[in-house]
Amino acid sequence: MNGKARPYANYLVAFVVGLIIFLLTSYRVFGGGTLDEWMESFNATPGAGGILFVNALVGISVALFVAQLKWNALRVTLTVVAALIFGYFVTGLFNLDTANKYVQGEFIVALQSDAEPVDQDDIDLQYGRQRGGELNNPEASDPLTEARFTFAGNEGDVITILAAVANRRSEVDLEVALLSPDGEALASSTSSTPEQLEAFEDLRSEKDATIADFTLPTTGVYTISAEAEPLSTGTIISEAVKATNAAYEAFLLGPLGRPNRWAVWIQDALTLILVGLSIAIVFRARQFSLGAEGQLYFGALVSGAICLAWTNLPPLLVVPIALLASMTAGFLWGLLPGVLKAYLGANELVSTLMLNAVAVRFYELVLTFQIKPPTAGYTASAPFPEGNILAPIIPDTQVTIAVFIVIGAVIASWLLISRTPLGYEIRMVGSNRKFADYGGINSKRVIMLSMAVSGILAGLAGAHLAMGIHRMLILNISLGLAFEGVVVALLARNNPLVIPFTGLLYAYMRAGAQFMERDANVSFEVVRIIQAVIILLITAEALATMFRFRRARNVTTTLDQGLETTAAIEGKAHV
Amino acid sequence: MFENVIQGIFSAAFLASILRVTTPILLPSLGALVSDRAGVINIGLEGLMLVSAFIGVVVSAYSQQWFGPEVGQAIGPWLGLVAGVSGSVLLALLLGFFHLKLKADNILAGLALNILGSAGTVAVMYELTGDRGNTSTLASMQVPFIQLPEFINQIPVIGPFLFTVFDNQSAMTWIAFLSVIFVWFLLYRTPFGFHLRATGENPAAAASVGIPVIRTRYMALMLSGVFAGLGGIHLSMGYLTLFQRDMAAGRGYIALATPLLGGNMPLGTAIASAIFGFFDALAIRIGTLQIPSQLPQMIPFVATVMALVIYALQARQVQIIRAQRAAQGTDFNPTYWRVLQRLSVLHVVLGMIAVIGIIVAISLFAAPKGFGGEAEAYPLGLVVAIASVILIALNLPFISHVERIRQRTLFSGVATLVTLGAYLTLFLLLFRPALPLAIGGGLLLAALVWVMLGGLNLVRSAPTGAQPA
Repeated sequence: MNGKARPYANYLVAFVVGLIIFLLTSYRVFGGGTLDEWMESFNATPGAGGILFVNALVGISVALFVAQLKWNALRVTLTVVAALIFGYFVTGLFNLDTANKYVQGEFIVALQSDAEPVDQDDIDLQYGRQRGGELNNPEASDPLTEARFTFAGNEGDVITILAAVANRRSEVDLEVALLSPDGEALASSTSSTPEQLEAFEDLRSEKDATIADFTLPTTGVYTISAEAEPLSTGTIISEAVKATNAAYEAFLLGPLGRPNRWAVWIQDALTLILVGLSIAIVFRARQFSLGAEGQLYFGALVSGAICLAWTNLPPLLVVPIALLASMTAGFLWGLLPGVLKAYLGANELVSTLMLNAVAVRFYELVLTFQIKPPTAGYTASAPFPEGNILAPIIPDTQVTIAVFIVIGAVIASWLLISRTPLGYEIRMVGSNRKFADYGGINSKRVIMLSMAVSGILAGLAGAHLAMGIHRMLILNISLGLAFEGVVVALLARNNPLVIPFTGLLYAYMRAGAQFMERDANVSFEVVRIIQAVIILLITAEALATMFRFRRARNVTTTLDQGLETTAAIEGKAHV
Repeated sequence: MFENVIQGIFSAAFLASILRVTTPILLPSLGALVSDRAGVINIGLEGLMLVSAFIGVVVSAYSQQWFGPEVGQAIGPWLGLVAGVSGSVLLALLLGFFHLKLKADNILAGLALNILGSAGTVAVMYELTGDRGNTSTLASMQVPFIQLPEFINQIPVIGPFLFTVFDNQSAMTWIAFLSVIFVWFLLYRTPFGFHLRATGENPAAAASVGIPVIRTRYMALMLSGVFAGLGGIHLSMGYLTLFQRDMAAGRGYIALATPLLGGNMPLGTAIASAIFGFFDALAIRIGTLQIPSQLPQMIPFVATVMALVIYALQARQVQIIRAQRAAQGTDFNPTYWRVLQRLSVLHVVLGMIAVIGIIVAISLFAAPKGFGGEAEAYPLGLVVAIASVILIALNLPFISHVERIRQRTLFSGVATLVTLGAYLTLFLLLFRPALPLAIGGGLLLAALVWVMLGGLNLVRSAPTGAQPA
């Protein structure tokens, strides 16, 4: 909106933001620190120049995002931030049990005295001995909540009772009490002083409990009671916050931790950008096709079969052919639901979902019975021959020449959508099919082609998974990537030039979630919950109006929206 | 081997297993039906099922802790059911809120719900059990099975058969089939059902006569949540006693197709669900043969796509016939056109079945090692492919243009006879009769079907009215 009035300001902002992102990512990925440390790490990393190059592309993607979406970029950013905050609370909920480590764990109770030990049959402890146990074991059917040990003592004995964690793994926060022979509480303790920590080597921290130098008043059988200190709500929350912060740090900064983690992010982003482009093209034609998953499987299968079979030919020939074949396979598998939708009116959402399931079964069938070497222990193909893969541009990573393929795909999709007759027709059909028909566009052909063309990109994504990332065919090569593509496309508002950014963004979250699961033991699925929240927030049109306050004053706009709503209701009634 | 399967298919036990596997398709299908009829397609059924299945398992497992073993055992399953369905309804309300209040696209919001259901259940499961695959460490419970009174077994002739089919079925199966009646009653015999249908047919018109469109749609979504939730409960507490990651396995999506196939009617939806149940049960049976299990597993999904196509084609043919009626006026011969329509649907179905042959042929060529080596698989694949192509080519001319059946009655009749005859011959061959007997029987049966559908009628009566434009 503002961009029309001051076009250069917009580009300037985009350039600055892109530059900042480029500098930040490049700074973090080599470990940060001072400039000298950074230079040292930079020089020590193989393929550092390649990393900088890809980071520059990341910066360009961000700049494109800002330049293309303008104020909507703010909305997208806010949506993602809101979803991340929601994810923070979900992670926090899952971390509410972090504080439990203070009430469960293995402990010992040691009884010390210089007096003569008294031996009796029915007692648990003697002077100089210790007993242990495990409090509140969550897996036990009848967990120990309070340990009671008896000992016999004479009047005047000076004793010391220590209750301590048994080993490094246990973090239980103990309290200990001494009960007289008639069951009266004589002394209790919840902690130890630094001096006691010095004096008794059984103690490990101040959380352990010590009753020091207590003089027994009578002769008889005393009882020591040891239990975990009850948790206060404050402890629970502060522990949860601490754990969640640690998890979120792994989530938000993990992908930039080391070059190999960075590579996980980039290689995933390449797949997501391809899938996102594929989804964006069909969404542009307003077709809710989720066929990308199945097309991806076929693309992977075909390219994998070619790479495995043609070992004698030069890779320079095989790799392009495999890529082309995967694109063709995707095209054909996209054409099928396209024809069904365009010429028969079969609901594309249901049909693509079903065809996905068929494609996955077919892939499994061929992989299990035909491609898997008979000797292999698990269901996967042999690794592709050395040459028949996408060559890495950064050594020891899966960041391959697919980078250039993706750049080509982005430019091609952009040209297709905004600079070709077909793209124009796709946009027309997408905004109003009836109107497009009236204007002489063959909307059936356009719908069919939009789904098939989107299949090309999804097939390419499959080839990238097979030839770039895994370098073999494996079972479950994609688990619901089409759904991830929906987020990428929606965040980018189906604009091919913005998809590199949204793909990178979402891949960053996915990679972060992996490291969060690895480092902080928080389920990876948190990122899928965030994904669902993003979809809900980004599709909620009523939320968008908050960002349209400038236009709200305009009467015609309000009218337009009213018409849109009516059209939407009518359209939905006939789906 | 084959005999076992055949005997299996024609047994009461197989019918019982159809009922069993139909239940988790039928329940969400009813949910899809209700929301479809209100004009809000609920894509989120899959997610709702998962959430309900998971909550049911967790609540039933913990109810023993909360209420002690005895009380917990007694009320656990029902508590789980109520909790699971409530969770599903709440999520459906969330969908309603986003779609109806915040104007989110219901398809995308529904997808979000599915992602939420799939991810949320796995995440919570991981927290509770430390496992991301299933909840086998939780001692969850089962919805009770309903035992029939013994006297039914004593009824002469049909008694034992009925007893085998209906005895020892999960309560959820009974709930599912009673729900069909409930939905029918709700849609066609209550004011609310009338509002609901009106809302779906034309929301603007409904609103203009004072029907609360938004509230009705909320109610419809909640109802679909109830049915999806019950379906989910059946998955995790009907026959199993655990929750598995993504255990709905696409049933929520299949449920979107069944109402279409069933003509958007409760009974039709039930029949369509039973067809899927049949394919599912068949896939389980065939799984015991020496063919790759993936092949029969494809059938329900392929069948769903076919169902969509058949529905779409049939709708188009009805349109063509309506246009004819409008064009011909009083000359229009309804019986004659009804026969045409029936035969055209038959052509569609026959053509579609041949598509399965194409899939089998492709599988044979793509993975010959799975079917006993190339020497066996390639010739078989070739035969199957050629036969399928011929059968499709025979029926294709009549699929897209109903009126051709009238113009080329003889060709249509022969095509039907050959295609249907071929299928029936194959079917009869399973019983191992002599080949000529099988072919003869197949052709005879095919001819019988053709006559029963009114084929002779077509030959006898000359077409009336003008040729279609």
